[in-house]
Amino acid sequence: MAKKKALNIKQRGSFRADLAYLSMLLPGLAFMFCFNYLPMPAIIMAFKRYGLAPVPKDFPIQNPFIYSLFVENPWVGLQNFQFLIRTPSMGDYVRNTVGYNLIFMVVGTVVAVAIAIGVNELRNRLAAKFYHTVIFLPYFLSWIIASYVVYAFLSTNGIMNNLLVSFGGATVDWYRTPRYWPFILIFANVWKHSGYSSILYLSTLTGFDQEVYESAAIDGATKWQQIRYITVPLLTPMIVLLQILAVGRIFGSEFDMFYSLPNGSGPLAKVTTTIDVFVYNALRTGAQLGLPSAASFFQAVVGFVLVLTTNFIVRRFDADMALF
Amino acid sequence: MSKTSIAQPAKKAKKTQELNAVSPVANVIMHIAFILICMTVLVPLWVIVVASLTPEMELIEEGYKFYAKSLTPEAYGFLFREGSIIFTAYKNTIIATLVGMALSVVSISLYAYPLSRKEFRFRRFFTFVSFFTMLFNAGVVPFYFVSRQILKIDNSLFALFLPLSFSAYWVIVMRTFYTSNVPDGVIESARIDGASEWRTFIQIVLPLAKPGLATVALFSAIGIWNNFFNCMLLVDTAEHYNLQYMIYSTLSNARFLSEMATQVSSLGETIARLPTNAFRMAMAGVTMGPIILAYPFFQKYFVSGITLGAIKG
Repeated sequence: MAKKKALNIKQRGSFRADLAYLSMLLPGLAFMFCFNYLPMPAIIMAFKRYGLAPVPKDFPIQNPFIYSLFVENPWVGLQNFQFLIRTPSMGDYVRNTVGYNLIFMVVGTVVAVAIAIGVNELRNRLAAKFYHTVIFLPYFLSWIIASYVVYAFLSTNGIMNNLLVSFGGATVDWYRTPRYWPFILIFANVWKHSGYSSILYLSTLTGFDQEVYESAAIDGATKWQQIRYITVPLLTPMIVLLQILAVGRIFGSEFDMFYSLPNGSGPLAKVTTTIDVFVYNALRTGAQLGLPSAASFFQAVVGFVLVLTTNFIVRRFDADMALF
Repeated sequence: MSKTSIAQPAKKAKKTQELNAVSPVANVIMHIAFILICMTVLVPLWVIVVASLTPEMELIEEGYKFYAKSLTPEAYGFLFREGSIIFTAYKNTIIATLVGMALSVVSISLYAYPLSRKEFRFRRFFTFVSFFTMLFNAGVVPFYFVSRQILKIDNSLFALFLPLSFSAYWVIVMRTFYTSNVPDGVIESARIDGASEWRTFIQIVLPLAKPGLATVALFSAIGIWNNFFNCMLLVDTAEHYNLQYMIYSTLSNARFLSEMATQVSSLGETIARLPTNAFRMAMAGVTMGPIILAYPFFQKYFVSGITLGAIKG
């Protein structure tokens, strides 16, 4: 009865309702058009030799960029990509990007899962809440603030050097010593993100029926066994989901972090420059726009393919875990 | 054990829970571990605050420390006196954050609502239109040129918030929020009473969705407040800088200055009068201050926002 009524109303107001709904979509569509869909055709820059040319009077769109890119600029095939591959230290940038991402995925997941389990198991709930609130805080501070923190600790008269001296050691010029930076970057990344991802894991844990743990305990399972055979399998779908997303971003990087923490120090470039940082630097130097557009295209397309592929693999493995 | 729990079912739950709790030793170890982790968050913030209040000479002679022999608000005074560019950056950041936050809430709440309505004929298509932006991103270079050459939002405050206002991720979160928190029956009965879709949305749905709106507003505000990249990419004019970019350039420039100071002793005197080190940390203090002060009050919205985003819709 109620269903029939709803159906009638739906049919009666259908066209008018759809119009109203469409009008609600407009602001969002405008934003996506400007910042997501409008840039998409411009990826053809990767296959052209870009240069700004004046627009002829009779061209319908009086915009030098659109005219140059779609009419005037010559196609150069894969030339930009060939130059990109031949760029010195390109190998370092790719290694940094992919390598750091893989390490962040492993270390970040282990730490976040450990924090989530710890917060869940602590006897004192108030303390657990306090700890988690504090651990979550860095997520809301910018990388620029983090770079100030790093500076206060690592600059020549920073806290680390003061501590080293007071323990009778020699000072270290941190901003000129590349070998420490992989560890600094990994620590900083985990520091900033473990609170966020542990919330995702914790929300899975708190929604779970405690009786399973209780019956496991009655059957004599130790705490460790419960974590190993109940908690971790319970968290696996979320872990897999987050890894899918992370794999899709494996050729991207957190630009703000890699750009601001080393504070523009030349000697560190070899271990801290990622593809994103290279793209930005090349774009702002502006000499050869072919390089950054090719690198940017590569990131976009490979990222897209990677998300689709990993999702496909996960779906074959377990449909419930797939993203879509 | 199983015998007693059968004999006293009322006590069962509590008993097993106690039995199932971690051992006291493990509990102590976990507390120590958590305190150490929390120190990695609290100590750096403490260091920044202390350094910003330390007299400049003490900082130069003894470097950054966990405590100061004497405290002075000199750097903050300097910030307000000398800091017209800081003031402008602060003002820009506040304007961008407020306007951008309003735009986010309006555009995201409006876009998500039709996607939550089953009777909307183009629901799947427009869901895909937004979801696709999460899968495929044209990249920095096209964004740079479109923003500068077509949209022409460079060198203006628009660059600080327009590209950050809308997010497909929050559309999905908001849609989940509508479907789980706004009962279908309420919307149906409003329609039976003859309310239009807009009226239903504004008068019935929005009031029920307030916690979701607050979450979207907060995350968008934090995102715009902390954004550094768009300002660096699209703004060349100092009067349109935001705080993050402002303090970023000050850190690199001041480092450059202090390096110069150690090399050229005659310059060292002028540098010493300018409280560079304390000044920098004071700027970091006023940049993160509002977030740290607001954070405890809004923490539950942050947590609920992340949790909602985890639900696949």
